[in-house]
Amino acid sequence: MDVLGSLAGGFATALQANNVLFLLAGCILGLIIGVLPGLGGTSGVAILLPISVYIARDNSATTAIIFLAGIYWGALFGGVVTSILFNIPGEPWAVALLFDGYPLAKRKGKPGVALASSFMASWVGALFATILLTFLAKELADVALRFGPAELFAVFVLSFATLIGLGAESPMKAVMMVAFGLLLAAIGFDTITGEPRLAFGQISLLSGIGFVPVTIGLFGIGEIIASADEAGIGYVEKIAARVGLKDILETFAALRKRIWLVIANGVIGFFFGSLPGHGATAGSFLGYGLARQWARNKEDFGKGEISGIMAPQAAADASAVGSLVPMLALGVPGSPTSAVMMAGLFIWGLQPGPLLFIDHPDFVWGLMASIYLGHLLTFLICLTAVPLLAMIMRAPHGILTPFIVIISVIGAYSLNNDMKDVAITIVFGIIGYWLRKMKYPLAPLVVALVLGDSTERELRKALIGSQGEWSVFFVSPISAILIALAVVLLALPLIGQLRRRGTAQA
Amino acid sequence: MRPYQVATAAIFLLIAAVAMFDTRSGALPTSAAGVPGGLRGGWYPFWSGAVVAVAAIVVGAQTLRRPDTEPGVFKDRGAVLYLAKFILPMIVTTYLMSDKLLGFYVATAAYVAYYAGLVARYRWYWAVLAGIAIPLVIYLVFEVAFKALLPKSVFYPTTPF
Repeated sequence: MDVLGSLAGGFATALQANNVLFLLAGCILGLIIGVLPGLGGTSGVAILLPISVYIARDNSATTAIIFLAGIYWGALFGGVVTSILFNIPGEPWAVALLFDGYPLAKRKGKPGVALASSFMASWVGALFATILLTFLAKELADVALRFGPAELFAVFVLSFATLIGLGAESPMKAVMMVAFGLLLAAIGFDTITGEPRLAFGQISLLSGIGFVPVTIGLFGIGEIIASADEAGIGYVEKIAARVGLKDILETFAALRKRIWLVIANGVIGFFFGSLPGHGATAGSFLGYGLARQWARNKEDFGKGEISGIMAPQAAADASAVGSLVPMLALGVPGSPTSAVMMAGLFIWGLQPGPLLFIDHPDFVWGLMASIYLGHLLTFLICLTAVPLLAMIMRAPHGILTPFIVIISVIGAYSLNNDMKDVAITIVFGIIGYWLRKMKYPLAPLVVALVLGDSTERELRKALIGSQGEWSVFFVSPISAILIALAVVLLALPLIGQLRRRGTAQA
Repeated sequence: MRPYQVATAAIFLLIAAVAMFDTRSGALPTSAAGVPGGLRGGWYPFWSGAVVAVAAIVVGAQTLRRPDTEPGVFKDRGAVLYLAKFILPMIVTTYLMSDKLLGFYVATAAYVAYYAGLVARYRWYWAVLAGIAIPLVIYLVFEVAFKALLPKSVFYPTTPF
């Protein structure tokens, strides 16, 4: 079946009434989560993951993934509203929007244009990224289907290397988090020899530590403690904001002038996002940097230049879409948020990876079609509902904070009806708060935790096949190239350090 | 910041050491028959632990070598107090949620009312109202709509929650 035919089938799935309903619910919840500072998209998806279990039970896994993905898209759009109107980023990926979004809204008095610019760029960027996803994911999956244990292990190693080598503030802390995640994943029975490991005589530890309670803890509880700690949201300056027809027309004219910039950022963001571990946040900074680099009017940046809004937002949304590529094609999460979605796939009984395209085509193509629909839906809601979104900012924190704690607890409990998981969530909530405080990156930890079992399995399968010969990873050209790439990525921070030292001495 | 950073790295080093000690028997490949690929179950966690340990030592050493640019971890004593007022009741609440104690709904009501009234300092009637409304909404969404059972109190079924 060709791509367009499959996509048409996907639209037939995505347009079923219950799927549209849950897509809408996901997008709206995502918008709310995006607007609320102190609650990010990853936490939102993590907290609502258990609800998706009920959705998958009553409908299908396709409905559940459409719902979770909808939260991601909603949060992508919603995070920028507070950046632009209040100078408070609702999401980490909306930080780049502070540079030009707030000045355009405040100093130039055009909040409507600023908002419309970001929504339109989000939508156009995501549209191009989704088209790329539609045509490339299947190709990549076809290649990945031929992978054996050695190649798969090499893919996992490359994923960890990108997390460590690109973007991490302290590469050594990222190394530590990756290894710590692998260690946590190893707790419990060894699937190959059946030996108990790291259980310390505790029966409850033999089944291992669940990925979901840990993630809800790290992101849900950890983030709410961190934002309670930073408190001080306090005074919010009110900018009256509506997106009127005039704003839309003005923005449209601005977009036409910058259409190539937006499309280029969409494409670049997509490929950047498809690298494992890097989602919208890194994408938006990359987009802002590129727009400034290419612009002839560099001095306008930071003063409310529309390119400074459109470029990062197009790249951010495209990166989020791109982060689904490795999840669908390789079974490797492309961002922390898609790591949480991947956990959902496991719970609903699906194995993320290339076989999805063969065993569950309705799932894959339904998801892809829902990305087109979800972005369009969110875009339309955003254009009409800005005043409502701005009101969410005034939600009473004294009630919201305990509510989020309680919802996280329900999420952890309801997976297995086990209070042990609640305890894990609370413990990892406190750990997550502390690691944030100490500036440890959490993305490597989460990705390593979700990939830990597969990494070990493929590594040992490869070594069993080769009778313990490590050369197996270099005999296959694909795994040799991937591992070589991983080594280069791991060396990047080291080279950077040496160069800095060189210039400091000169 | 520095003492906290070093302490955090030291805790990771300790965790890694415990893990490596626990899995030491599988650390090295063995030629014994019947072990697939010559690797015991402890091999992979042992070496993951080893990487954690090495990274923790490097992070600790880096922190000690670089100048301590950031002051304390917490803004002031008020911030520490606030955290305690937030985290400790959260732990107590989840403990009380067990079906051998207060159960989910009563514990939730108490926690929400506590936070709204004593931490966020809302008027007492708002706190009580929130304490009733939130468990009620959760009951309707989870117990009625999703048919998910949450732990009831030890008094159930004498009381409805």
